[in-house]
Amino acid sequence: MKDSISKEHIFNHSIDKVWNAISKAEEISTWFIKADFKAEEGYEYTFTAPEEKNCTEITGVVKKAHPYTLVYTWVVAGTDVETLVKWQLEKSDTGTKLYLEHSGISNYTGETAVKMFTSFNGGWDNCIHGLSQYLTQAIHAG
Amino acid sequence: MQDKITKILKAIADPTRREIFHALVVAATALPITQISNQFDMSRQGVTKHLKTLEDANLVKIDNKGRERYCSANTIPLKEINEWLKFYEQFWNDSLDNLGKYLDMT
Repeated sequence: MKDSISKEHIFNHSIDKVWNAISKAEEISTWFIKADFKAEEGYEYTFTAPEEKNCTEITGVVKKAHPYTLVYTWVVAGTDVETLVKWQLEKSDTGTKLYLEHSGISNYTGETAVKMFTSFNGGWDNCIHGLSQYLTQAIHAG
Repeated sequence: MQDKITKILKAIADPTRREIFHALVVAATALPITQISNQFDMSRQGVTKHLKTLEDANLVKIDNKGRERYCSANTIPLKEINEWLKFYEQFWNDSLDNLGKYLDMT
Protein backbone atom coordinates (compact mmCIF):
# COMPACT_ATOMS: atom_id res chain seq x y z
CA MET A 1 0.00 0.00 0.00
CA LYS A 2 1.35 3.39 -0.96
CA ASP A 3 1.65 6.36 1.33
CA SER A 4 -0.06 8.65 -1.15
CA ILE A 5 -2.89 9.27 -3.59
CA SER A 6 -1.99 10.10 -7.18
CA LYS A 7 -4.17 11.47 -9.94
CA GLU A 8 -3.49 12.13 -13.58
CA HIS A 9 -5.81 14.18 -15.74
CA ILE A 10 -5.65 15.78 -19.18
CA PHE A 11 -7.35 19.12 -19.73
CA ASN A 12 -7.92 20.48 -23.23
CA HIS A 13 -6.63 23.88 -22.23
CA SER A 14 -3.33 25.70 -22.36
CA ILE A 15 -0.78 25.07 -19.64
CA ASP A 16 -0.89 28.71 -18.50
CA LYS A 17 -4.65 28.65 -18.14
CA VAL A 18 -4.48 25.53 -15.96
CA TRP A 19 -1.56 26.98 -14.00
CA ASN A 20 -3.53 30.14 -13.22
CA ALA A 21 -6.53 28.07 -12.13
CA ILE A 22 -4.49 26.17 -9.54
CA SER A 23 -2.24 29.00 -8.36
CA LYS A 24 -4.34 32.20 -8.24
CA ALA A 25 -6.47 32.84 -5.17
CA GLU A 26 -9.40 34.21 -7.13
CA GLU A 27 -9.56 31.19 -9.41
CA ILE A 28 -8.91 28.63 -6.66
CA SER A 29 -11.82 30.21 -4.79
CA THR A 30 -14.11 29.65 -7.75
CA TRP A 31 -13.60 25.95 -8.47
CA PHE A 32 -12.04 24.63 -5.27
CA ILE A 33 -12.29 26.25 -1.84
CA LYS A 34 -12.34 29.94 -0.85
CA ALA A 35 -8.66 30.74 -0.73
CA ASP A 36 -6.26 33.23 0.76
CA PHE A 37 -3.38 32.07 -1.38
CA LYS A 38 -0.25 33.32 -3.09
CA ALA A 39 1.97 31.19 -5.29
CA GLU A 40 5.08 32.29 -3.42
CA GLU A 41 7.42 30.04 -1.51
CA GLY A 42 6.88 30.45 2.22
CA TYR A 43 3.38 31.93 1.90
CA GLU A 44 1.04 30.71 4.65
CA TYR A 45 -2.24 30.08 2.94
CA THR A 46 -5.75 29.38 4.20
CA PHE A 47 -8.54 27.54 2.42
CA THR A 48 -11.87 28.27 4.08
CA ALA A 49 -14.88 26.23 3.15
CA PRO A 50 -18.32 27.74 3.87
CA GLU A 51 -19.17 27.42 7.55
CA GLU A 52 -22.90 27.06 7.15
CA LYS A 53 -22.25 23.81 5.33
CA ASN A 54 -20.17 22.55 8.22
CA CYS A 55 -17.06 22.46 6.10
CA THR A 56 -13.59 22.70 7.45
CA GLU A 57 -10.52 24.87 7.09
CA ILE A 58 -7.20 23.89 5.56
CA THR A 59 -3.96 25.73 6.23
CA GLY A 60 -0.40 25.22 5.09
CA VAL A 61 2.77 26.66 3.67
CA VAL A 62 3.72 26.96 0.02
CA LYS A 63 6.91 24.96 -0.47
CA LYS A 64 7.42 25.31 -4.19
CA ALA A 65 5.73 27.61 -6.68
CA HIS A 66 7.29 28.07 -10.06
CA PRO A 67 5.62 27.18 -13.34
CA TYR A 68 4.60 24.47 -13.56
CA THR A 69 5.10 22.89 -10.15
CA LEU A 70 3.13 23.83 -7.05
CA VAL A 71 3.72 22.16 -3.68
CA TYR A 72 2.11 23.01 -0.36
CA THR A 73 1.62 21.42 3.03
CA TRP A 74 -1.94 20.53 3.99
CA VAL A 75 -3.19 20.68 7.58
CA VAL A 76 -6.87 20.09 8.36
CA ALA A 77 -8.26 22.33 11.11
CA GLY A 78 -8.56 20.53 14.42
CA THR A 79 -5.68 18.19 13.62
CA ASP A 80 -1.94 18.82 13.85
CA VAL A 81 -1.12 16.40 11.08
CA GLU A 82 0.79 17.68 8.08
CA THR A 83 0.43 16.07 4.66
CA LEU A 84 1.74 17.30 1.31
CA VAL A 85 -0.08 18.25 -1.90
CA LYS A 86 1.83 18.49 -5.15
CA TRP A 87 0.53 19.75 -8.50
CA GLN A 88 2.58 19.35 -11.63
CA LEU A 89 1.69 20.42 -15.17
CA GLU A 90 3.11 19.27 -18.44
CA LYS A 91 2.26 20.22 -22.03
CA SER A 92 0.58 17.42 -23.97
CA ASP A 93 -0.62 17.00 -27.57
CA THR A 94 -4.16 17.94 -26.71
CA GLY A 95 -3.55 20.46 -23.96
CA THR A 96 -2.18 20.01 -20.46
CA LYS A 97 -1.43 16.94 -18.41
CA LEU A 98 -1.90 17.42 -14.68
CA TYR A 99 -0.32 15.24 -12.02
CA LEU A 100 -1.65 15.54 -8.52
CA GLU A 101 -0.12 13.79 -5.54
CA HIS A 102 -1.32 13.91 -1.94
CA SER A 103 1.24 12.19 0.26
CA GLY A 104 2.00 11.65 3.93
CA ILE A 105 -0.84 9.37 4.93
CA SER A 106 1.45 7.68 7.46
CA ASN A 107 1.58 10.97 9.36
CA TYR A 108 -2.00 10.36 10.42
CA THR A 109 -2.54 8.21 13.46
CA GLY A 110 -5.51 5.89 13.26
CA GLU A 111 -7.37 7.96 15.82
CA THR A 112 -6.86 11.24 13.94
CA ALA A 113 -7.97 9.71 10.68
CA VAL A 114 -11.11 8.30 12.20
CA LYS A 115 -11.92 11.54 14.05
CA MET A 116 -11.45 13.46 10.82
CA PHE A 117 -13.95 11.30 9.01
CA THR A 118 -16.61 11.44 11.63
CA SER A 119 -16.39 15.23 11.87
CA PHE A 120 -15.81 16.25 8.27
CA ASN A 121 -16.91 13.47 5.98
CA GLY A 122 -20.33 14.88 5.22
CA GLY A 123 -18.88 18.37 5.37
CA TRP A 124 -16.57 18.13 2.45
CA ASP A 125 -19.11 16.27 0.37
CA ASN A 126 -21.40 19.23 0.87
CA CYS A 127 -18.71 21.70 -0.11
CA ILE A 128 -17.86 19.89 -3.30
CA HIS A 129 -21.51 19.31 -4.13
CA GLY A 130 -22.26 23.01 -3.62
CA LEU A 131 -19.44 23.96 -5.92
CA SER A 132 -20.63 21.62 -8.69
CA GLN A 133 -24.10 23.14 -8.48
CA TYR A 134 -22.68 26.62 -8.68
CA LEU A 135 -20.67 25.75 -11.76
CA THR A 136 -23.57 23.99 -13.46
CA GLN A 137 -25.77 27.03 -12.88
CA ALA A 138 -23.06 29.35 -14.12
CA ILE A 139 -22.70 27.30 -17.29
CA HIS A 140 -26.43 27.31 -17.97
CA ALA A 141 -26.70 31.02 -17.19
CA GLY A 142 -23.81 31.79 -19.50
CA MET B 1 4.93 6.90 21.06
CA GLN B 2 5.19 5.20 17.72
CA ASP B 3 2.61 5.97 15.14
CA LYS B 4 0.00 3.34 14.51
CA ILE B 5 -0.45 3.79 10.77
CA THR B 6 3.31 3.89 10.20
CA LYS B 7 3.49 0.46 11.82
CA ILE B 8 0.69 -0.85 9.65
CA LEU B 9 2.26 0.48 6.46
CA LYS B 10 5.63 -0.96 7.45
CA ALA B 11 4.07 -4.31 8.26
CA ILE B 12 2.33 -4.63 4.91
CA ALA B 13 5.18 -3.16 2.85
CA ASP B 14 6.85 -6.58 2.74
CA PRO B 15 5.41 -9.04 0.16
CA THR B 16 6.00 -12.13 2.33
CA ARG B 17 4.19 -10.53 5.26
CA ARG B 18 1.34 -9.58 2.96
CA GLU B 19 1.09 -13.22 1.84
CA ILE B 20 1.13 -14.49 5.42
CA PHE B 21 -1.51 -11.96 6.39
CA HIS B 22 -3.57 -12.88 3.34
CA ALA B 23 -3.33 -16.60 4.19
CA LEU B 24 -4.63 -15.85 7.69
CA VAL B 25 -7.50 -13.74 6.35
CA VAL B 26 -8.48 -16.49 3.90
CA ALA B 27 -8.22 -19.17 6.59
CA ALA B 28 -10.71 -17.17 8.69
CA THR B 29 -9.56 -19.16 11.68
CA ALA B 30 -6.52 -19.27 13.95
CA LEU B 31 -3.62 -21.21 12.42
CA PRO B 32 -0.70 -22.74 14.32
CA ILE B 33 2.71 -21.25 13.53
CA THR B 34 3.94 -24.70 12.50
CA GLN B 35 1.34 -24.89 9.77
CA ILE B 36 2.14 -21.40 8.49
CA SER B 37 5.86 -22.12 8.32
CA ASN B 38 5.16 -25.36 6.39
CA GLN B 39 2.85 -23.56 4.00
CA PHE B 40 5.43 -20.87 3.27
CA ASP B 41 8.38 -23.20 3.23
CA MET B 42 10.13 -20.99 5.75
CA SER B 43 11.87 -21.62 9.04
CA ARG B 44 9.71 -21.31 12.11
CA GLN B 45 12.03 -18.54 13.25
CA GLY B 46 11.59 -16.57 10.01
CA VAL B 47 7.82 -16.86 10.13
CA THR B 48 7.74 -15.89 13.80
CA LYS B 49 9.70 -12.72 13.03
CA HIS B 50 7.19 -11.69 10.34
CA LEU B 51 4.28 -12.55 12.60
CA LYS B 52 5.76 -10.42 15.37
CA THR B 53 5.89 -7.40 13.02
CA LEU B 54 2.27 -8.03 12.04
CA GLU B 55 1.34 -8.40 15.70
CA ASP B 56 3.04 -5.06 16.51
CA ALA B 57 0.81 -3.41 13.93
CA ASN B 58 -2.20 -5.12 15.50
CA LEU B 59 -2.86 -6.98 12.25
CA VAL B 60 -2.33 -10.40 13.83
CA LYS B 61 -3.27 -11.89 17.18
CA ILE B 62 -1.07 -14.62 18.63
CA ASP B 63 -2.45 -16.91 21.33
CA ASN B 64 -0.67 -19.66 23.19
CA LYS B 65 -2.54 -22.93 23.38
CA GLY B 66 -0.55 -25.68 25.03
CA ARG B 67 2.76 -26.01 23.25
CA GLU B 68 1.58 -24.42 20.02
CA ARG B 69 1.01 -20.76 19.19
CA TYR B 70 -2.03 -19.86 17.10
CA CYS B 71 -2.29 -16.81 14.86
CA SER B 72 -5.35 -15.06 13.50
CA ALA B 73 -5.83 -11.97 11.32
CA ASN B 74 -7.30 -8.68 12.44
CA THR B 75 -8.43 -6.53 9.51
CA ILE B 76 -9.76 -3.55 11.47
CA PRO B 77 -6.55 -1.45 11.24
CA LEU B 78 -6.59 -1.76 7.46
CA LYS B 79 -10.11 -0.41 7.34
CA GLU B 80 -8.92 2.80 9.02
CA ILE B 81 -6.31 3.40 6.32
CA ASN B 82 -8.77 2.47 3.63
CA GLU B 83 -11.25 5.04 4.95
CA TRP B 84 -8.63 7.77 4.78
CA LEU B 85 -7.66 6.84 1.23
CA LYS B 86 -11.26 6.53 0.10
CA PHE B 87 -12.06 9.93 1.53
CA TYR B 88 -9.28 11.75 -0.32
CA GLU B 89 -9.72 9.70 -3.51
CA GLN B 90 -13.27 10.99 -3.70
CA PHE B 91 -12.26 14.48 -2.63
CA TRP B 92 -9.61 14.85 -5.36
CA ASN B 93 -11.76 13.20 -8.03
CA ASP B 94 -14.55 15.67 -7.33
CA SER B 95 -12.11 18.57 -7.19
CA LEU B 96 -10.51 17.72 -10.53
CA ASP B 97 -13.99 17.37 -12.06
CA ASN B 98 -14.73 20.86 -10.84
CA LEU B 99 -11.44 22.15 -12.20
CA GLY B 100 -12.34 20.67 -15.60
CA LYS B 101 -15.77 22.32 -15.59
CA TYR B 102 -14.25 25.60 -14.50
CA LEU B 103 -11.65 25.53 -17.27
CA ASP B 104 -14.29 24.69 -19.88
CA MET B 105 -16.49 27.62 -18.95
CA THR B 106 -13.84 30.33 -18.66
